[in-house]
Amino acid sequence: MPPGIRKVAERSRRARAPAIAAVIALPLLALIVRAFADVWRAPAIVPQRLGLRGVRIAFSGDTATAFTNSLIVALLTVTVALIVGWPAARVLGERRLRHPAPVFLLLAMPLLVPSYAVGSGLTEWFIRLGLDGTIPALVAAHLTFVLPYVTIVLLAGFGPRLTAVEEMGSVSGLTPLRRLVWVTLPSAAPTVAAAVLLGFLVSWSDYGASLAVGAGRSMLPVVLLPFVGADPQVAATLALLFLAPAIAALAVTVRAGRQPL
Amino acid sequence: MIPSELSCERVSVAPGGSPVLRGLSLRVEAGTRTALVGPSGAGKTTLLRVIAGLEAVQEGRILLADREIHRTAPHRRGIAVVFQEPRLLGHLDVLDNVALPLRAAGIARRERRRAAAMHLEEVGITALAKRRVQGLSGGEQQRVALARALSGDPDLLLLDEPLGALDPNRRTALRRVICDVQRERQVTTVIVTHDRSEAAELGDSIALMLEGRIVQHDEPRALFERPVSAAVARFFGVANLIADAAGTLAIRPEYVRIDSGGALRGTVLEAHYVGDHVRVIIDCGGRRIQAHVPPNTAPHLGQKIDVELPAEHVWRLPSSVPAAGEAIRD
Repeated sequence: MPPGIRKVAERSRRARAPAIAAVIALPLLALIVRAFADVWRAPAIVPQRLGLRGVRIAFSGDTATAFTNSLIVALLTVTVALIVGWPAARVLGERRLRHPAPVFLLLAMPLLVPSYAVGSGLTEWFIRLGLDGTIPALVAAHLTFVLPYVTIVLLAGFGPRLTAVEEMGSVSGLTPLRRLVWVTLPSAAPTVAAAVLLGFLVSWSDYGASLAVGAGRSMLPVVLLPFVGADPQVAATLALLFLAPAIAALAVTVRAGRQPL
Repeated sequence: MIPSELSCERVSVAPGGSPVLRGLSLRVEAGTRTALVGPSGAGKTTLLRVIAGLEAVQEGRILLADREIHRTAPHRRGIAVVFQEPRLLGHLDVLDNVALPLRAAGIARRERRRAAAMHLEEVGITALAKRRVQGLSGGEQQRVALARALSGDPDLLLLDEPLGALDPNRRTALRRVICDVQRERQVTTVIVTHDRSEAAELGDSIALMLEGRIVQHDEPRALFERPVSAAVARFFGVANLIADAAGTLAIRPEYVRIDSGGALRGTVLEAHYVGDHVRVIIDCGGRRIQAHVPPNTAPHLGQKIDVELPAEHVWRLPSSVPAAGEAIRD
């Protein structure tokens, strides 16, 4: 291939990823416009008046509290899921179990049931224990379906390659703690980042369990849902707020994912 | 550094219940290279892992410089390993990969990078110091792994088929590097390979492992020309094992002569050109003799030829084989 044509082909290849990203992001643009359209009557193509009505209404209630609650619950859930899921994923990923199938089935079971049903079942127990509506109860409820996702993503990255570099670390004179910090964590960073992102998003966007276990405690998806249909401008504003931590988590994941094993 | 002697005494390992090492004994003299050879499944890699502390010893003991190490954690054994795959860390550049053992020893960053650069020079890849490891060729990666192993200044260096994934030219080059570096540093070294020619080139001595035991440990020539059993003879390519009233005679095919006036008369059954010689199978009165002859003097199929087995190259296999091959050497 002549160098000129090769250069053009290379440029078009590089342009492809941003173009695909732009197409995927197009509905986001509509969301932004909707959030700031104070007056937008059909059949007008563009809003008649832009303004901050949506922002005022969205933030007039307990949105800030809901945002904080959702963030705390999602961060705690994903932290606990990592702590619990890590050893489980190592055992499964390194094929140390003779019969892993029943473990996989048990692990996936909460995913087969709607989160509201799981939440309702747990609520009864939380009421008996006096825990309903508390942050630990919400974290426990979210864990039931976040843990399987986190464990399954982690075990995809845990296996012979990770064990191999850990062995190399051992015979290079690293103590178990240094091996964990200098070898295991950096080597598993992309997998851990992917697991954290998925776990965070699943918890952050959960409606059913939050509603069932929350006992009136404000959570962002629960606050957002009544506005969908009733007031699209406020729903669009809350949806943008909803997106912010998810995009931040995605950015962190992409950065961590640049360091392959 | 004073070289250390390695001694494995009646070591047994049975991961998952099935025995892999069966009372194995091996002694590697301080400052020497021993090539560990054997067929797949003989337990070579397991033995290296046991010595390095990556597998537990069930019976027996391992000593390095008269110090029992088989209960010591791997990071405290003073042993470095070069694995078949380089096992480099993708988030570090070449220099930091090499400097990992120095970092473990608590040496400051600037100093350890300077030391790592010296080790890169030792293995001939100074120019790669700042490179990411992902873009390196297999041979380059394996040199980085060797430099990393050396940077910890180990008492014992274990190499587990380090040339296995390389093409012939890179194998030759890295083989030379390994020999030069070992000779320079006098570090006691055990190299696993399944290639007997490579073992002869890499090892001051060769230890043959069969079914979890060392069956013969001696200088390279002894294993090729004075095998202690038919199994050893077969592994080292002694294709002619001739039974007589007193036992078994062995002669390598390259010593069989097909001159006129030979004591045996035979017919050429097969002749295979294999590059540097022709492998000829001769039927001598119902007994098959294999000979390697230069391509320009190879007989043709069906040709009647005289076969000579020079007495100075015929070796009688010992009637009894010592239980552990160490007795042959010691």
